[in-house]
Amino acid sequence: MRPWARLGFWLPLAAVFVWGLVVLLIGEDTLRETTFTLMMFVGMASSLNILLGYTGYVSFGHIVFFGLGGYFGFYLLSQQGLWLLPAAVGGGLLSGVLAGLLGLAVLRLRGAYFALATIGINEAARAFVSNFGPFGGATGLFVNFQAYQAYGGAGPALWTTFTYLWLVTLAVLLVSALVQGSRFGLGLMAIREDEDAAMVMGVAAPRAKTIAFMLSAFFPGIIGTLYFFKNGNVEPGDAFQLHMSIEALVMIMLGGQGTVAGPALGAVVYQGLRGYLLTSPLFKSLHLAMAGLFLLLIVLFVPAGAVGWLRHRFPRLRKVLT
Amino acid sequence: MRRLLFLLGALTVTALLAGGMAGAATKNVVIGFTASQTGKLNVEAIRQINGLNLWIEQVNEAGGVKLPDGTVLKFQAKFYDDESKKERVQELYTKLINQDKADFLISPYSSGLADAAAVIAQQYNRILISAGAASDSTYKKGYTLIFQVYTPASRYLTGALDLLAKMDPAAKKLAIIHEKDKFSTDVVEALKKYAEGKGYQVGLYEGYEPGTTDFAPFINKIPAGTDAILGGGHFADTSTFAKQLHEKGIKAKMVALLVAPPEPKFAELGEAAVGVIGPSQWEPLATTYNKDTAQKLNLPFVGPSVEEFNKAYQAKYKETPSYHSAGGYVAGLLLGEAIKQAGSTDTAKVKEALDKMDLLTFYGRLKFDTAKDHGLQIGHEMIYTQWQKDAQGKLVNQIVWPEAFRTAEAKLYRQ
Repeated sequence: MRPWARLGFWLPLAAVFVWGLVVLLIGEDTLRETTFTLMMFVGMASSLNILLGYTGYVSFGHIVFFGLGGYFGFYLLSQQGLWLLPAAVGGGLLSGVLAGLLGLAVLRLRGAYFALATIGINEAARAFVSNFGPFGGATGLFVNFQAYQAYGGAGPALWTTFTYLWLVTLAVLLVSALVQGSRFGLGLMAIREDEDAAMVMGVAAPRAKTIAFMLSAFFPGIIGTLYFFKNGNVEPGDAFQLHMSIEALVMIMLGGQGTVAGPALGAVVYQGLRGYLLTSPLFKSLHLAMAGLFLLLIVLFVPAGAVGWLRHRFPRLRKVLT
Repeated sequence: MRRLLFLLGALTVTALLAGGMAGAATKNVVIGFTASQTGKLNVEAIRQINGLNLWIEQVNEAGGVKLPDGTVLKFQAKFYDDESKKERVQELYTKLINQDKADFLISPYSSGLADAAAVIAQQYNRILISAGAASDSTYKKGYTLIFQVYTPASRYLTGALDLLAKMDPAAKKLAIIHEKDKFSTDVVEALKKYAEGKGYQVGLYEGYEPGTTDFAPFINKIPAGTDAILGGGHFADTSTFAKQLHEKGIKAKMVALLVAPPEPKFAELGEAAVGVIGPSQWEPLATTYNKDTAQKLNLPFVGPSVEEFNKAYQAKYKETPSYHSAGGYVAGLLLGEAIKQAGSTDTAKVKEALDKMDLLTFYGRLKFDTAKDHGLQIGHEMIYTQWQKDAQGKLVNQIVWPEAFRTAEAKLYRQ
């Protein structure tokens, strides 16, 4: 059966489609900002899931692609005068190519060694950017407020950025679902279960892993450009925050790794909860402790994540939740 | 007939009373901001909020700000924790403006966060007073509603060189070691340019990563015969750097570092703090910012005196105010004064009042650039402090520069 013939293929896509559409139709600024943060993490977690969920390779360096790709996209935009969309795609392409090159080196490592190498890459990338002249070194780059005029003013520019982010998030979910349902995806999952056995069975593991790595790196580059454009500036400290990589991992675990809907759900729940706790008068000072407690409970009692648990508990849902 | 007249009279009185009441209506002015209550910037950020809250409390107790139409304005703070992280700042400022109906905004602490907030403020046509953010670059972006309270980064350490020239005209060799973040880099880039223009040799110019805790590699690289060591970054790293300079027994005529030395907490370093010079936006000792000076400069003096501010702050928070506290207070003071002069809370009118403003406060002079770098602080001057031992051997922070404001003569670091 073709993957798109199943209901589960369309469900996460439809949810994000309707969600973004509703925000656009309501046109309320606060809602847009909250959704922007949420959707950014849906995109980040879902793109990381293409590597982590399907191949089982845990990467702490996902933020590198967000940072470097975003930096490059922002450079194209602010220094070379490119329009937002081509600049963002440029950032994504750089991330993808970089992942391809890196993959050749680090994807030979397995398990904890791969995870450790990815932490190193994060630090290396930040150190590189802080010393790289064209990217503004430690002071970073910025766009003049006038730059937003080209998009019809600052308000419309933020809406445009939001719309692009929405489309990118849809694209991530589409690619994730296509990979999951394809022969290529099956190969990846075989690698996750037993890499040696998969190779014996004819899966070209090194190539498959590298492609998965490139796919998972492409989207953060685009998201990074959009995010930095919205901020109006970029600095090394903001671009390479290890905690964002870790948060993306947590979201995947929360929602259910290796599923399409899981990471998206995990991102919404995790960020939604944090955003709520941060601004609620009661928990304002306790939000981090509360979020920690919540995570502990999830990891202890629902290790397969929400979607994994539902699939296990209600076999009928397996058709709907992929 | 009499009854009717009585009724009419009663109605008229009621109407008049109601009219009078409406004329003296109170309006709540919401000042919105985010603050880093958690995360790496919380020491400085909390002092800044304390300062602002003190102003709000005082202005409301004094009956608020009265507008020409009789409306009395009372102020109210509305804020969220930004966790010292940028990804939340824009979301929270949008919420402050749209949901909490903030009329005016104060920036978060630190230049990076303030930059992210500035975009939102300008977009929603809100005035943002930036306190605790010194980068010059924010004002090169074409904003018209962002006003800076701090002396900009480019002038943070240049005065230390003027002081060095005074202390020892023969001193020529400098070492600059700084945190590689936006603020500190802005500072030292301007410093290096200024130093080279004055004929100094910069023998070492190195940046360290934010979060560095071991400075030995940098200290070991300081060339022999260096006269002055300048740089640093934020509180935690700069304190550690000063401590390790002392432990390594480095000899120099001057050590001038960013942010940490003016903080009262810096004294906890004990011996390592002695002789360290720091640029400060303001000091509790700076009593020369008073009405007499204002008269001499032909400027209006606004707000409490330095002594009054110190006393009130000490009474409320049981600690000596630092320049972050003063910055928070003066952000409110500035806003209140601008509203008073504009006679309105309308953004365009208050902006105009801020553009015209040139006054002296307990915090120093305040005047904004209205030309190319709109909103950049051009009136305020840095003062330089040095930790010295008094007759009893106790550590005290003295103002050593500019000469006009000094409370003690600057001493050499270690010889």
